[in-house]
Amino acid sequence: MRDKIIYLLGVVALVILVWNINTIAQLPEETRQGVVFKIIFFHVPMAISAMTASAVALVASVLFLITKNFKYDALAVSVTEVGLALLAGNLVTGSIWGRQIWGIWWAWDARLTSALVCWLLYAGYLMLRRAIEEPTQRATFAAVFSIFAFIDVPIVIFSIKWWRTQHPQPVFWGGGSFPPDWTTHFMWNMLAIALVGTVMVAVRLRQEECQREIDSLRRMAHAI
Amino acid sequence: MRLTSIPLLLAQVSVEDLEREKLFLQHNYTFLSYGLTAAWVITVIYVLMMVARERKLKREIAGLRAMLEERQK
Repeated sequence: MRDKIIYLLGVVALVILVWNINTIAQLPEETRQGVVFKIIFFHVPMAISAMTASAVALVASVLFLITKNFKYDALAVSVTEVGLALLAGNLVTGSIWGRQIWGIWWAWDARLTSALVCWLLYAGYLMLRRAIEEPTQRATFAAVFSIFAFIDVPIVIFSIKWWRTQHPQPVFWGGGSFPPDWTTHFMWNMLAIALVGTVMVAVRLRQEECQREIDSLRRMAHAI
Repeated sequence: MRLTSIPLLLAQVSVEDLEREKLFLQHNYTFLSYGLTAAWVITVIYVLMMVARERKLKREIAGLRAMLEERQK
């Protein structure tokens, strides 16, 4: 039943994405940047979803340290991995957009650098997990590392407010403006990408359950 | 400079501007397609990685179960 719900959500997300790409293509071009501005429909939802994943990882890590329940550890690693993929998408689409508008692929400004550091920190989190064999020690160290890594998330979000950056101020909640029909399509894409992320997390959680089953089967095999 | 050459000069500049604008618009479409392709490629690669991991885990579970049954006999 749970598998069916996961696949159904995945199909719904894909349908929304494909339908929305079709409607986004028909929207008029932005006055100054032209058609390339439409990258925003992927770049920003990917960033918001990735930052949300980091927040969920933080909460799950704290809950693991309090309760020592491995379900929270599984949730933390699942959302971190999916968040990492989404942040990679955000960084790559941003770089492509920047190449056309700024004339450069990358600028070492506060927003871009802190986002890259965030990606490296969460990649480090996954590498740390691979390096430790013992499950309880692995989960504890990873939870502490995840809490530490989250310090970078507010820096990524507020860097454009705190420092002068090459990266522009936000269109949403930052004094920018967006036509109402664009906002609607943006929200649809936001929903679709969040759904894709949720489905990925659900699949990844199931894989963590399989991994725990493997661990217990191995223990049984050793005991016999 | 004769006054009659000024419109010609302006016309020349505007043609260059138009060329630049045309090139910018062409690049705009190219970079938009790069951006969308990158977003989809990253998603597809991650999904394929998950599918491969799922298969590996299922194989491992089946192998361990078979081994346990064998030992219990």
